[in-house]
Amino acid sequence: MTKYVVKRILYMIPVLLGVAFLVFTILSLTPGDPGSIILGITAKPEDIAALNAEFGYDQPFFVRFFQYIGDILFHFDLGTSYSTRQPVIDTILARFPNTLVLALLSMCVSSLIGISLGIFSAVRQYSVMDHVCVVVALVFASMPGFWLGLMLLILFSLKLGWLPSFGASSLRHFILPTLTVSLTSAAGLLRLTRSAMLETIRQEYIRTAKAKGASNKRVIWKHALRNALLPVVTTLGGGFGASLGGAIIAETVFAMPGMGTLMTTAIRQKDIPTVMGATLFLAVLFSFVILFVDILYAFIDPRIKAKYQNGGKKRE
Amino acid sequence: MKKALALLAAACTFTMAFSFGACAEETSGKTDLVIAVDADVDTLHPTDFSTTVEMNILNQLYDTLMYLNPDGNHEPEPRIAESYEISEDGLDYTFHLRNDVTFHDGTPVTAEDVVFSIELYKNSEYQGSQISMLSSVEAVDDATVVCHLDTPYAPFLKGILSPYICSKAYYEADPEAFVNSPVGSGPYKFVSRSTGSSIALEANEEYYRGVPTIKQISFEVIPDTATKAIALQTGEVGFAEIDSSVLAQLEANPQITVTEVPTSSFCYVSMNLEKEPFDNVLVRQAINYAINRENLVAVCYDGEAEVNSNICAKSRSGYSDDQLQYTYDPEKAKELLEEAGITTPYNLGEILAAEKYSNLATVVQNDLKAVGLDVTISVKEFNAYIDDLTSGNYSITALNMTLEGDTQNLEMAFITDYIGTANNARYSDPEMDELFNQTRSETDADKRLELFDQIFTKAQEEAIYAVLCNPLTLYAYNSGLKCPEFAFEGNYFVYDFAW
Amino acid sequence: MNKSRKHAQLAEFWRRYRKNKTAVLGLILLIAIVGMALFADLIVPYEKCIEQVGIERLQGPSTAHFFGTDEYGRDLFARIVHGSRYSLLIGLATSLMALVIGAVLGASAGYFGGVVDNVISRIIDVFMCVPPILLSLAVVAALGTNLRNLIIAITVSCIPGNVRLIRSVVLTTAEQDYVEAAKSYGTSNARIIFRYVLPNAMGPIIVNTTMSISDMMLSAAGLSFIGMGIQPPSPEWGALLSNAQTYLFSAPYMLLFPGMFILLSSLAFNLVGDGLTDALDPRLRD
Repeated sequence: MTKYVVKRILYMIPVLLGVAFLVFTILSLTPGDPGSIILGITAKPEDIAALNAEFGYDQPFFVRFFQYIGDILFHFDLGTSYSTRQPVIDTILARFPNTLVLALLSMCVSSLIGISLGIFSAVRQYSVMDHVCVVVALVFASMPGFWLGLMLLILFSLKLGWLPSFGASSLRHFILPTLTVSLTSAAGLLRLTRSAMLETIRQEYIRTAKAKGASNKRVIWKHALRNALLPVVTTLGGGFGASLGGAIIAETVFAMPGMGTLMTTAIRQKDIPTVMGATLFLAVLFSFVILFVDILYAFIDPRIKAKYQNGGKKRE
Repeated sequence: MKKALALLAAACTFTMAFSFGACAEETSGKTDLVIAVDADVDTLHPTDFSTTVEMNILNQLYDTLMYLNPDGNHEPEPRIAESYEISEDGLDYTFHLRNDVTFHDGTPVTAEDVVFSIELYKNSEYQGSQISMLSSVEAVDDATVVCHLDTPYAPFLKGILSPYICSKAYYEADPEAFVNSPVGSGPYKFVSRSTGSSIALEANEEYYRGVPTIKQISFEVIPDTATKAIALQTGEVGFAEIDSSVLAQLEANPQITVTEVPTSSFCYVSMNLEKEPFDNVLVRQAINYAINRENLVAVCYDGEAEVNSNICAKSRSGYSDDQLQYTYDPEKAKELLEEAGITTPYNLGEILAAEKYSNLATVVQNDLKAVGLDVTISVKEFNAYIDDLTSGNYSITALNMTLEGDTQNLEMAFITDYIGTANNARYSDPEMDELFNQTRSETDADKRLELFDQIFTKAQEEAIYAVLCNPLTLYAYNSGLKCPEFAFEGNYFVYDFAW
Repeated sequence: MNKSRKHAQLAEFWRRYRKNKTAVLGLILLIAIVGMALFADLIVPYEKCIEQVGIERLQGPSTAHFFGTDEYGRDLFARIVHGSRYSLLIGLATSLMALVIGAVLGASAGYFGGVVDNVISRIIDVFMCVPPILLSLAVVAALGTNLRNLIIAITVSCIPGNVRLIRSVVLTTAEQDYVEAAKSYGTSNARIIFRYVLPNAMGPIIVNTTMSISDMMLSAAGLSFIGMGIQPPSPEWGALLSNAQTYLFSAPYMLLFPGMFILLSSLAFNLVGDGLTDALDPRLRD
């Protein structure tokens, strides 16, 4: 297992280099240059050129790319933002906590709702409650995030005056954004859990267990859930990425300073150092989350654990 | 399933069911103000800034030499300089400073700081172009600053009154702090900033024009239009610039006052004069007559824009009603097209649009179709759009532009030197270039106005652009807040506000 | 496989599908929506949905305009009817493309393991780390904006998730006894993947694909914010909805109707997906 984890961590190096190269290339190929985007349409060409030179944007693509990678590797420097002219890492560290809290809260709330209702629905397949759960979850999933966010805002801030409408200065500010993100994403988890549960319930070993006289509860918790959770856990790992995506909308609607809004603005302004820094920062985080999820697999599914322990090769 | 449908129905009526309530709030005796802004500031550098939000915050932190009403029809008001004079030959501008002005750290504002500020501003890639033609600036004594020009330049005064006066000593002591915790000369002091979220300012009790009434200001970043409208109604926000789409909702609320402020920014159809058939003046005139500007203002600006086919806004110096106004006349448009030898229906190709201007393109497309000109809309990502626009890689487009400051700045839309930047029509005419050259150096106000009259008359007759309207800036604020009338362009100074 | 056996299988499938009442309801709903898209021109002429009547702008629902009019004075009923074509096309095309690409890559990675798995997984890791909006932007920058590129952009950003999901499902299925058995008979890899592994891994994949159809319709709306939605004045539900956001307070019906249709079609796809999951399940084929 340790060998496997070390190997996976080593794999991250080419992945991160790949991410860096891909993002850098995309940003360099998109139209516009930072100087003219910042100074606008009325600026003098010489001012634009001077600003671009100040950013080092006048250098050829590969020079800029290797300089950037070099700065990260040898000086641990994520660079200076084109728009704020401040170190990128400062901006990231100022905004990341908000996004992390929002993503974690949303993930917890949505898995709590999604997985528990999913199991509930599967166990009582075709009952009235099953239909209600599925349909309600679907209704929320079919709502665009911004729309749901605004409705919650109108209800809880404007009409009832219970919760603040914008900002991120206290935990109370996180309630509505968390609801917005988790309600829209819970349905996916619910349906996935439900269908995976149904699938496993029908498997041979469950029938065998039932035939052997194991109690219904025991069959569900001990045998079915464990196997059913495998595809669910995968989406959960990916779900962390998705909640970052959902976070962009929630951050915009509820005016929370987070990574989502930071990246969208930076992409539009072609602020390459900020986009690169934020992407790599999240990529490292994301890689560890995925690694963690993969290890979790192994624990849930003994067959895969066996596979890894055989040196990652297929049994032939 | 019945239950499911009932739930569906409930979810659907969700939107309809709300009647929007307002929260009453006691406002007398309040001394703090929350202002919502659209975007976070990138910087609080007094010269290297680029956005309106940054300027609005810097306006509270820093004072300028004098304050000039942006419409160009007023005399400058004294600020750090109490008076000024211009030499006979128009080459020397002398400013006499007050002796009681201090920076927020307590040090006095001297002529040396003013010289430093002007030089910093002039050398900035961001704002330097605002003060063209300045050749040197010197401090004659502690309270007198003289700016020298090589040739007379009429709009110079407006430019030289833009730099924010900042402390030379503070800059030299710590250039980082100069940006991140600014020490200004204005009515408000910098307190703190939380990246992406808010900026807090407090009243400068030593301010030379008297202590401000509002003691604390907090600028909060709220990008979403609807959220901002809600925050205004809950009382969480006291003052904000709003989008016209939420106007009706806010006006219906007795707790909120909305003010419309005219601006010089203009919404227009730009045609590439280097391409057929837009090189033909008759076609351009036809397009000018074909567009229903009143309808466009209603659709795209919810009525919150002033219909005007002239690039010069009506409140701006240089405008005259004698200059030709194009009105909606589809019949005349058809006649002009026929005269130009165009057989309709005629395919004009693509109308270029950016997402935020696609509503303009949609209306224009419809109006052009009515006179027999067919266009398809091509939407581009904003930077790609600007790239195509400035490089002339388009034939017709609709957009919005701001060329504020002195009327001279409108030259950017017309003269040969600006092809590739703001002269989107790629119009090049020696006579027009010469006229703008004359307005640059003409120091006699009346003669200068006459020259501008010639310019705009010419621009209108040749239908270089199809200007549509001047959008209004809308401010919504708590009815308890007393704001004086906002000047043209809508710059605001919280110093003038009171609860 | 002879004809009558195929026929019998189909009948058996339909018999089991029919048992699930909500699935049948979903199917009816789906047929209605697809019918609306196919016969849009018969219901209301396309001209109606781009015709701007200035004096009739922002009018609530009435007998003249069932769903009211938008800010241009265009009939929203006509726009929604014709919008179904674009929305269904976007939802179906992107989901199917992402499914096919995801199935090929994910199944190969999960089934073959080793180097193949490693290479595919690392590439997918790279793409998962890049923000979707950036990937979409890259597509626009490289190809420009129109319906086709919109479909490509949405597909690109959802392939990584599909690959990972299918890989993980295949990973479990590939270890099952019947696959081992097929292998021992010397069945070819491709045949095992398509005949045994994928069909047996279908449950979560179908659920994911049907769920994704409505997600795709919604992301089309999101993308119009970065200037790469569908070309105006063509109607598309997601774009109608995102445009209506500005009129949340003054014309809430503009949000209601497109939202309702997205909701209904998403519901239809999901109910049908559920029905299919049950009806196709090979383990119920006794």
